[in-house]
Amino acid sequence: MKCTFKHKRISSIIAVAPSQEYRFDDEYANFKMTEAQARRFKKMMSLDRHRIAPPDVCASDLCLFGVHRLLEAGVLKKEEISAIVFISQTPDYILPPTSNVIHGKLGLGHDVICLDINQGCAGFLVGLQQAFMLLEIPAVTKVLLLTGDTGSKQMTRENRINYPINGDAGAATVIERCSEEKTIYMDIKNDGSRYKALMIPGGGYRMPSSVETLKLREVEEGVVKCLEHVDMDGAAIFNFTMDDIPPQIEEVLSFSGETRDSIQYFFLHQPNPFIVTQMTQKMKIPQEKVPNNVVSLYGNCSSTTIPLNIALNAAELMLAGTRRVCLSGFGVGLTWVSAVMDLGPLDFCKLVDYEPTGSHA
Amino acid sequence: MDKQEFYQRLAEILDVEEVKPENVLKDFDGWDSLAILSLLAMADAKYGVSVKAEEIRAVVTAEDLARLIEAKRK
Repeated sequence: MKCTFKHKRISSIIAVAPSQEYRFDDEYANFKMTEAQARRFKKMMSLDRHRIAPPDVCASDLCLFGVHRLLEAGVLKKEEISAIVFISQTPDYILPPTSNVIHGKLGLGHDVICLDINQGCAGFLVGLQQAFMLLEIPAVTKVLLLTGDTGSKQMTRENRINYPINGDAGAATVIERCSEEKTIYMDIKNDGSRYKALMIPGGGYRMPSSVETLKLREVEEGVVKCLEHVDMDGAAIFNFTMDDIPPQIEEVLSFSGETRDSIQYFFLHQPNPFIVTQMTQKMKIPQEKVPNNVVSLYGNCSSTTIPLNIALNAAELMLAGTRRVCLSGFGVGLTWVSAVMDLGPLDFCKLVDYEPTGSHA
Repeated sequence: MDKQEFYQRLAEILDVEEVKPENVLKDFDGWDSLAILSLLAMADAKYGVSVKAEEIRAVVTAEDLARLIEAKRK
């Protein structure tokens, strides 16, 4: 479904990563890989290191840390926050919504919209769309889009499929109105018939948490998991990224009147560097327009890969001026969303390490 | 489709010197989920076809695999 928005812009981005960094070379023995297997896997997936949050740090802590930095920098004031959209698959609690918990911790007034959205790798784009729609409400001044996941809590460290590429991170993005028209072009698609390609089967109310859902099994060599851990059909996801994403990006480019040459940056979700390279080669997009180092340095941090990518690779450019960019997120659902828009000049754009404050609870 | 070139690409994926048409895929040490992923990518990038993992798992020999990809190109 195509849609356009006008008079709206992203004004600030802060991405927050846990400071704990782990290297693939130190971890591969946990996945029962031989040295030769590890070498092959590392080369194909361009793996090096990733960030993993300690057990007592939640996605919301990473996001909140970022919000405090924005407040301190003066680019956001508490009274300007009209809505909190929290996008995550690792909320603090089953209830209440984590956006409400964050609202309370920030000490905001009552005239604020709080919204939790259960989304993954398309989450940044789904959240942007929500933010643009919320800004159609005259009383809404700024929307705080918080994306965050601690995916490491949904898998064991003895899982060669998911753990080596996983990264934990959070981000806070501020969206507001602007006087210039600056049309934003978006396309959002969903296919629920493929929901089983990426899921956690147990621990919800279809299969409630029990001794059985928590029982760890080695389901294949080097993959220890239980029914409350993430279960991914890697080949089906690969087919999805190659069959469905390039046509959507081409569609949104033509919808916006742009071409792969006129777009200056493609900030795509990064499941792993291998998929991003395959996808963009298929679309004949020059690799230098597609920063692709997030998974090698931080890990696949779900809805946060896009803001983290921007802050890691293009902060100075985005603070200085405007770039015509294409954003694309795709994953769990299955959901895929692509957009063409102007990005920058931003008021704030930074990637920081999380420092615990000792007041999580 | 150039069969020799296909078997050479398959040999690179499986990390062996040579693959013969009659070779059984499961007999290779390197025949794992990573090899299947590489094959999906190769089929898409080099031959322009979308192959599913189940289809690859269903074939037995290297020649069967070549036939599968060739049939999809038509």
